[in-house]
Order: sequence, then structure tokens, then C-alpha cells
Amino acid sequence: MSARSPSAMLPAPVAPSLSSRARRQWRQGRLAWMLLPTLAILAFVIAYPAVRAVQLSFTSTSLINPISHGIGFQNYRTLFHDSVFYSALKNTMVFTGASVVLGGLGGLVLALMLEDFLGRFRVIQTVLLTPWAVPTVVAAFLFRYMFEESGGIVNSVLLRSHLISRAVPFLASPKWSMPSVIVGNVWVELPFFLLVFSAGLKSVPDEIVEAARTDSAGKLSIVRHVKLHYLKGPAIIATLLMVIANFNNFPHIEAMTGGGPGISTTTLVIYVYQLAFSSYNIGYASAVGVVWLVILLVLAVGFVRTVRMETT
Amino acid sequence: MGALSTTAGERTRAPSGPLRNALVQWRKKSPLWRSVVVVVILVMLAWSLLPIYWMIATSLKTSAQVALPNPTLYPHPTTAANYSGLFNGPFPFGTFLENSVVTAVITSVITVVLSALAGYSFSRGKYLMRGPLTYAVLATQMLPLAVLLVPLYLEFLNLHLLNSDLGLIIGYCSFSVPFGSWLMKGFIDGIPIEIENAARVDGSSQLFVFLRVTLPLAVAGLITTGVFVFINTWNNLLYPLTFITTLNKQTLPPGLLLSYTGQFKTDWGGMMAAAFLMTLPLAVAFFAIQRFLVRGLTAGALTGV
Repeated sequence: MSARSPSAMLPAPVAPSLSSRARRQWRQGRLAWMLLPTLAILAFVIAYPAVRAVQLSFTSTSLINPISHGIGFQNYRTLFHDSVFYSALKNTMVFTGASVVLGGLGGLVLALMLEDFLGRFRVIQTVLLTPWAVPTVVAAFLFRYMFEESGGIVNSVLLRSHLISRAVPFLASPKWSMPSVIVGNVWVELPFFLLVFSAGLKSVPDEIVEAARTDSAGKLSIVRHVKLHYLKGPAIIATLLMVIANFNNFPHIEAMTGGGPGISTTTLVIYVYQLAFSSYNIGYASAVGVVWLVILLVLAVGFVRTVRMETT
Repeated sequence: MGALSTTAGERTRAPSGPLRNALVQWRKKSPLWRSVVVVVILVMLAWSLLPIYWMIATSLKTSAQVALPNPTLYPHPTTAANYSGLFNGPFPFGTFLENSVVTAVITSVITVVLSALAGYSFSRGKYLMRGPLTYAVLATQMLPLAVLLVPLYLEFLNLHLLNSDLGLIIGYCSFSVPFGSWLMKGFIDGIPIEIENAARVDGSSQLFVFLRVTLPLAVAGLITTGVFVFINTWNNLLYPLTFITTLNKQTLPPGLLLSYTGQFKTDWGGMMAAAFLMTLPLAVAFFAIQRFLVRGLTAGALTGV
């Protein structure tokens, strides 16, 4: 209040004097305090747990027997020969890669076609976005039911149309479980890409498309040379976000298959969860988590770099 | 997003204009292309809507209809038994729902407050380490929740925060606060600083400017942040599954998972009824903030859009 009263008595200056500019900067310096509550809670829920995860990974800590022993790099040596870890890593890559490629390409094609169809006929776009509004666990339940061997609508339709002669055990066979999980995931995530690409297409200046058209450029070449250029930025960011999201996708897989049958849909996140809370082996679970964290850090650095490039 | 709102605005003012324009453009296209577009869009509409239809249809079927190996395509006769069964059935659906609403709403409110402060600080502050701190908070969004899960579990165990709403809400903050801070930074970046400077020159205090000048202009950002956090916590399975240890304190996602993967594994009618009820609030939330969806989904990443 004391800093405020003298200037409140004066009429507002037309141009800020040097001293008031200096005072404003000093005041802005104080904005650091506004960050403190956020930093405090993040220290509690992110910084400390992250450090603790690294520390735990060098111990034999178990949830049943909380007396821990430092065992050096033993967990990492075990991990190096752990075939389940490699399968989980492969499953994570397949799940993430297929979901992002199918969702991304689907979203791109659909965004381009929707733009053509009656301009930006918003109602259709809104309807196509509906799956994104369905909670992850619900979508997983829904696809679990639809892919049932007996009573599942997918098998029922395929049987009735004589495309198959015997019901396919989509979720009960290691061969079909991963593709089925991916189909459900693409259903949820395609609208995200559609939304991002549609927004990107709106930033394409009409004049440029018109200019290309009067130069009698064909439909496809306008898409290739003009529109895709404008979609590059959104595409990079959407892809990175979804790669990271799918690397961490726990609810979809857990609710649809629980990582099974066998380990056919066990991704890293499922594996870490099971190690910690089914096998109670939290030392080893932390080691797997740390290795996975390193993989993701590489992605995160790439992500931040891209953001910096896009924003500056 | 600016483009989106102007298109909507234009249409309400002159309903015939843009639509007729689009129709003229559409007629100019070759018939082959037009039919390809229509077929693709129809297929995609079916792909998007049929699963949702199936969820609703199944939830209205009698248990005898659901049990058929070749399911009927529509409920006949329809019944609300699956819905009433949820509230006086074998597991506490109402309690799950209540826990979900309470934790999601409280987390949203806390996050909006913290994020408004942090976002303002990121956007307007001039202090040492502001840049690195801003990017550090962005980078924490990439941290896999599952890596934090084990140490957080032990931390909560020691502090007696397991199996409590408070612990769950604190846990949710690990993803909601970094996300919200970035989203709010983006919204506040979009408010011209000249407006604040004018108020400051008048001698208003820092806090006054923030509360009375900036925040009212950032209401859209506050709402978007709150709704997004609500959606993300409503969806979260991993944290409640881990931090909540008794069934009557569970939220919906783990509650339904634990109920329907165990004893009631084949009660598809009940499961679809529960699924539909769980979808409704989320669908409303999504369509309420449709204009800001892209911005929220790519918080921090697409500051230009």
C-alpha cells in the first residue's frame, strides 16, 4: 500500500518515466513468488519421486519386505537378460507406432476430405470427434465386448456375412490380441489427429490455394505442395504428443486385455505396474522404469527442441 | 482457434453465405472425387458412431438378449433394468460416481488456482531462471506416470495418504499442474501487456492488476484448464487403482474394472450401462469447450494456433 499511495495521488503520466519503468521491472521481478506453490507441489509429486525411483533401482526393495539392500547394478544386469522386458519394449513400439501411423494418416485423409465436403460442415466434424469424448476405460470395455469370441458383434457380423467360418478369438489369442487393442486405440485417437489437422488446414490462406488453382494445379498437387506444407508443424507436434501418450497408455490396455493373453499385449507401463504391484518387486520395477525414462527423455528433449523451434 | 470462432460467428450472422459458397465449390469438383469423399465420410461416420450405438443398445437389452451368441442388432424389448441394477446391485456404482466427481472437481479447482498463478508468472515475470523453469515444467509432462508411481506409493504410505481422497488429489496434481501452467501461460501470453501497464501506471498493485485486470480477461483459459483437468482425472485409471486400496473409496475407472473383470465378467448389459453413464459427463465437458479443444490438447506446443 505504501508503494501505491504516492502515485495514486498523481494524475496518470502520459508516458512512463524512467523511474516508473524501473519500478515496474522491480515489481515484475516479484512475480517469482507466484510460481512457488506450483514448484512446491511438483517437488513433492515429481522431483522427489523421480530421484527416489533412481535410488530404488539400485536396491532389492520389495513391497512385502520393506528392508532394502543396495545391490548395485544387479537390477540392470537382470534387465539386460530379461526377455519379458524386450517383449514389452517391442510391444510398446508396435502399439505406439501402429496407433500413431494409422490414427495420423486416417486423421489427415479425413481432414482433407472434410474440408472439401461442403466447406467446413461443422456438424459432421463434431460427430466424427465423438469417440474422443468417450472415456478411455469405457472405449476399452466397449471394444472388449465387441471383440468377444461368443456374443461379440464383430464375430457375429463376420460369421453372418460368411467372411469367416469360425469365430476368431480376437482377445484370447496372442496372434490377434495386439491388432485388436490397436483398433480400439485408433478409434479413440483418430479424432485427435482429425482435430489438429482440421485446425491446421484453416491456417492455409485461401489466396494461396486460389493462386495454385488458377495456375491450374491439380487437386493432388495443391494438397502436396500447398496444404501439406502448412500441416507440417501441427503434424510434428501431434505425433510427438501421441507417441508419448501411447508410450504411457495404461488404461486402454489394462482394461481391454490386462496385458494378456500371456504377455502378448504387455507394454512397458503394464510390465512396470505388474512388477511393482503383482510381484511386489519395486526395486526391479524401478530399474525398468528408469531405463524406460531414459528412452522417453530422448523423446522429451526432441519435443522441447521442436516446441522452441516452432515458437521462436 | 481464432479462425474457428470467426467462421461460427459469420455463419450466425449470414447463414446462407458461407454454406452456399461451399456448395458452389463442391459442385465444381469432379463426380468421381465427390463420390469418393462421400463414401469415405459415410464409412467414417459409421466407424465413429456404431460402437457408441452398440454401447447404448446393449445397455437397454434384457440379460436374455445379451446372452445370445448371435446378438440382436437392436434391443427388443427395451429395459432400464441394467441402469437400475447399477444403483442397487452388487457393487457400489453410486459411490464410485461420487468419488470420481469429488476428486475430479477438487483437483480441477486446485489446478486452476495454481496454474493461473504459475502461468502468469511464466508469462509476465522477469526473474532469474524463468526460461529454464518454464521448460522444466513442460518437460515433466513427458515423465511417465508409471515411473513416479512406485516412489509416490511409498511416499504416500509413509505419510498415511494412501486410500484417501487427499492423496489421490495430490497425485493427480503431478500431471494436471504442469499441463495447466502451460495452458494458462499460453492464454495469458495472448492478453496484451499494455492493458496491465495502463493499470500499473495508475498505481495499482501487482496483485490487484493480476486479480482485477488479467484474470477476468483470461476466463476462457481458466475454464478450459478446469475442464481439461476434469477430463483427465475422470479418465485416470492408474492412480486410483494404486493409491486407493478399498473398493468403496474407488473412482469409476478402477471401480468398474475391478467389478467387471471379476465376478461379473459377462454382465455386458450392466457394464455398458455403467460405461454410458460414465461417458455422459465427459461428452458434455468436451462439447462445452469444443472451441478450445486443439489449444488444450496441444498445450504449450501450439502457442501460435
